[in-house]
Amino acid sequence: MSIIMALARKDLKVLFAEKSNLFWVFVFPGMYALFFGAVFSGAGDGPSNMRVVVVDEDGSDFSEAFVSRLRANEALAVLPRADANTPAKPIDRTDALERIRKGKVAAAVIIGEGFGEGFATWFDTSDPKLQIASDPGRQMEGAYLKGLLAQAQFETMGERFGDRDWMRGQMRSWRSEIADANDLGFAQSQVFLSFFDAMDSFLVDVNDNVYASGLDEGMLNIGNLSVSKEQTGESPQEGFQITFPQTILWGILMSVICFAVSIIKERMSGTFARVCIGPIGQSHILAGKGLACFVTSLFVVGMLFAGGKLIFKVQIGSVALFGLAATCTAVCFVGLMMLISTLGKTEESVTGAGMAIIMLMAMFGGAMLPLFVMPSWMQRISHISPVKWGIYAMEGAIWRQFSLAEMLLPCGILLAVGATFFALGVLMLRRARL
Amino acid sequence: MIEVTNLSKRFGAIVAVDDLSFSVQRGETFGLLGPNGAGKTTTISILCGLLRPDGGSVSLAGKTDPMRPEVRASLGVVPQTLALYGEISAQANLEFFGHINGLTGRQLKDRVAACLETAGLTQRHKSRVSTFSGGMKRRLNMVCSLLHDPDILLLDEPTVGVDPQSRNLIFDNIEQLKSQGRTIIYTTHYMEEAERLCDRVAIVDHGKILDLDTVENLMSKHGGPSHIEAEVEQPPANVKDLTQSLKVESLDLDGTMLRFQTPEPMQSLAALNQSGLRFRTIKVETTNLEDVFLNLTGRRLRD
Repeated sequence: MSIIMALARKDLKVLFAEKSNLFWVFVFPGMYALFFGAVFSGAGDGPSNMRVVVVDEDGSDFSEAFVSRLRANEALAVLPRADANTPAKPIDRTDALERIRKGKVAAAVIIGEGFGEGFATWFDTSDPKLQIASDPGRQMEGAYLKGLLAQAQFETMGERFGDRDWMRGQMRSWRSEIADANDLGFAQSQVFLSFFDAMDSFLVDVNDNVYASGLDEGMLNIGNLSVSKEQTGESPQEGFQITFPQTILWGILMSVICFAVSIIKERMSGTFARVCIGPIGQSHILAGKGLACFVTSLFVVGMLFAGGKLIFKVQIGSVALFGLAATCTAVCFVGLMMLISTLGKTEESVTGAGMAIIMLMAMFGGAMLPLFVMPSWMQRISHISPVKWGIYAMEGAIWRQFSLAEMLLPCGILLAVGATFFALGVLMLRRARL
Repeated sequence: MIEVTNLSKRFGAIVAVDDLSFSVQRGETFGLLGPNGAGKTTTISILCGLLRPDGGSVSLAGKTDPMRPEVRASLGVVPQTLALYGEISAQANLEFFGHINGLTGRQLKDRVAACLETAGLTQRHKSRVSTFSGGMKRRLNMVCSLLHDPDILLLDEPTVGVDPQSRNLIFDNIEQLKSQGRTIIYTTHYMEEAERLCDRVAIVDHGKILDLDTVENLMSKHGGPSHIEAEVEQPPANVKDLTQSLKVESLDLDGTMLRFQTPEPMQSLAALNQSGLRFRTIKVETTNLEDVFLNLTGRRLRD
């Protein structure tokens, strides 16, 4: 055991004597945490809203109310800007489209003339009064905007329905349109006219409070259900909490690369052969290498854990399960380290192959971008990346509030993959030696 | 102490070691002399268990199969490459290799101090190895293999690329080890090193031993005659008588300059001295292992 410890101690000394290794193992994951944590938490000056420009060609009360609704939506930054003191300086259609072309805004909402005239114009699909122009490269945002416009339109309509006089005016208008309609049969006309009479009587007779209460909840009322078993912190799913597992994985992955490169460096410099000449078994040498990488990985996790708690105030659901997840992930990637170290005969080839493997695993495993922003086929592919299981295990301990039984699947996969990688690496290393 | 029998090793189509056999006695310094690519390092690698031979056997102090760790316990190997950790200090390197060889505690501390002293690096023990000169690294490379006081030393070209001062220090260390009764195998392509350090030398080329003997016997067998050139004050009166007294086949007289070849230069010089001739200058070109190699292979050692 003392020989394994001596081997591990030497590896740690060599690793930490190289300042660039410190950067990759500690500083880089920290930078990742800062960057993506800020992205997902909306730290600083608030979340990044979608910039849209609104062209109001209608200029009606209704279109103004609609624009006010859009301005009130936190997900949108509406141009032209307006506040209590400064009225908005109108933007015309040409200017709006130019701004999209130059990438200054994600989309333009053009409110055509007649938008505020009433129901007839809103539901006239042959001549839409509301148009959207969006950046072709930001189609997802365009689709998102359509949803927000529908929401604003329904809410504005809801307001209109609350105005009984306006509603009675609409009834009168429709009655005269039906009376003038030559292509409508007598029986059909009577059905509509009876309905409008009944509606008008209702609007006259209904109690103010009862009428208003029917619209209180708005026209789109979607509730949120919590998926957590128990909320343990003040803000349990803040951005840093989501990106913390990725940060940990990057720390471990960078340790793995540094150690894999250290093995090939030793093989090239002759120190590995010199160690092999000593009166110790190959199992000792490999165990020493593995132990050093494992200890470093756990040390990195510990440092990032402390940084996460102290600097980013990350809430950890279960510290014990977090320890289990970190240990299993470290074991998995120690195995990967052993395999990567045999994938070339020079430092350059091992670094290249190692970085390629790590990047692919990180990309598909959700360490670069969280899996939920990826298309479904990529999410399915992610199952083959151990990075995904490492992140999943960490998330389970941090904010998914997994039980020990629920942790068994990701942890079991990590241990199995680690053992397979390690065995393959040892076999290839032996082959390379003899 | 060391028995090598019918050793062979191939790397694909290349035969690195071809049916090599030799034995080394306890306390003997045995040289493997040959050009680059002769198979010296491959032989050393097999002897220390780094490579598995395709055929043949190796016995070290009565134990076979150096792939087993316990067989390597009595072995100290100085590799040709500078197998050191440049990122850490000389002392940290020695402590690590001491640990690997089973040293701990006080014993480790004492041996590290002794080896630093031997290498002349006591003052620089805390310096990073990457800041050392080539000679300092070579010296450290050597003493890293002496920490556990091994009975058998395999030195694979330990003086490659060093300055004369470091080379002399390494020679002194090796001679000291010889005097302590260590069994040494020394590979080199410098014939002066083999002549100075080795009791017996095997001339190796293309993985085969061409001949194996003491340096004197090798030179006598394969080195050819020495060349003597002497300028005398008065030419000899009878060249024929002088030729007979010198026991040489022919003697060339050019004015006052005498030239001849002899397998026994010391005896010839003594005979010249007794002939009554008075000399102005004498130049003797004796044979060496370079000539031996040239005569055995038709090539020079450093071709």
